[in-house]
Amino acid sequence: MDDMIVCRCEEVSLKNLVDTAEKYNCSAREVKLRTRAGMGYCGGRTCRPAVDAVLENATGEKPRNDVPLKVQPPVRPMALSVLGGNDRDDE
Amino acid sequence: MILMHDVVIIGSGPAGLSAAIACRENDLDVVVLDEFPKAGGRLLGQLHQEPTGEWWNGVKETEKLLERANMLDTDIRLEVSVYHVEKVDDTFNIFTNKGTLEAKNILIATGAAESAAPIPGWTLPGVMSIGAAQVMTNVHRVKVGEKGIVVGVNVLSAAIAREMQLAGIDLHSMALPAANVITGDGSNPIKVMDGLARIAHLAPSKFIQFGSRFARASAFVRNTAVKFFPPGGVKMWGMPVHIRKAVTAIHGEEKVESVTICKVTTDGDPIPGTEEEVEVDFVCIAGGLYPLAELAAVMGVPFKYIEELGGHVPVHNEQMETDVEGLYVAGNITGIESAKVAGAQGTVAGYSIAKHALQDHSLEENITNAMEQVKTVRANASIQFHPKIDQGRARVAQAFEVNAINSDK
Repeated sequence: MDDMIVCRCEEVSLKNLVDTAEKYNCSAREVKLRTRAGMGYCGGRTCRPAVDAVLENATGEKPRNDVPLKVQPPVRPMALSVLGGNDRDDE
Repeated sequence: MILMHDVVIIGSGPAGLSAAIACRENDLDVVVLDEFPKAGGRLLGQLHQEPTGEWWNGVKETEKLLERANMLDTDIRLEVSVYHVEKVDDTFNIFTNKGTLEAKNILIATGAAESAAPIPGWTLPGVMSIGAAQVMTNVHRVKVGEKGIVVGVNVLSAAIAREMQLAGIDLHSMALPAANVITGDGSNPIKVMDGLARIAHLAPSKFIQFGSRFARASAFVRNTAVKFFPPGGVKMWGMPVHIRKAVTAIHGEEKVESVTICKVTTDGDPIPGTEEEVEVDFVCIAGGLYPLAELAAVMGVPFKYIEELGGHVPVHNEQMETDVEGLYVAGNITGIESAKVAGAQGTVAGYSIAKHALQDHSLEENITNAMEQVKTVRANASIQFHPKIDQGRARVAQAFEVNAINSDK
């Protein structure tokens, strides 16, 4: 069960998350930054609630009103050409 | 020179399309964006029988909405993914894979996403979310496998399991996910039983008849039912539904080959020695839905955590306005409810946007009527995702008022 992957994109296991939270006795945000959970290709869309649940359990942080792990653009996987380009909808 | 639209609507599900129709009726310049190749959102996958015996066919409902939208010359652009939104002065910039749009107003109607209920082996090919199985079955008409099992017993998985059965897909059974820190209430037989009692009215079916017996029963009776739950499960349309069995692992070399199921206590703890292996070639995991609010979060809209609504929702009022002027929300992003409620909310948002864009206060009446319609639809909804939806909604509205008062100070 411990080896079970939670964040598929970054291949972070339940054990990685729990151990990191214990070792550093840190916030959910720090666990995310240390393990890269939720920071992969899908932008956390698949594992966000799961990562939140693990970290809530490990750090004892209750769900607050702000979204626990900050959402940043791009919120969808995009080609670098799209992000780097200067396309405009000139119609 | 970039064309400035009156409103860009993100999401062409029931909420987005209904809003677009209300905006077009008022002759606004509207663009609807959706990343899927077909408009309709998750409405497309829905097929269930109402308590009246009538069938709710999402494809037909989508056609009705699209017919109306097309009659009004609505600009609907598919296969467009929005990856970022920002507001500069009074203009929203909407960044997509096909260029940037500008608008005076935006409606975020992005619906919901599925929560994972991870169990060991869930990353194997052949494991999918129940929603993916629904899209493959009802939208793409692809058979997901020869024999499968549904992990997670809830409103959504029961409805979709039935849809798969209707499509001739062989399901071994439905069972709970093994308990871990993530699966939570979804692996607790008593909590699951409470959830089942809530879909009791989804007649006419065995499942429902079973549930309805306990719907109004006391907690004691329900707990007793959990305790003495038949070892063979309760048959729903011929398929066993287990709430005292859990799937503890999924196995396979390169893809799903089997799962391990074991009996669990009334608290969901596995009972050692009761494991059995079941051969399947696909597994559908149903961990429930949460509001997909990424773009609202990026925009800095305040959020509130409301369990009854499925998690973090952008704070909004009954008119579907948020704290960011010109930014509206509707549908499942505001809380997990049925497609009918989402559509009704979309209409409210559409009129609110029209009123704001045109500064036409005669639209107040339309808004009030549409708000009433939301309540009526909610009260009559055959799929109720949470018994305390109304309380959850009230808390969001209250949060909006508090924010408004604070920002006036």
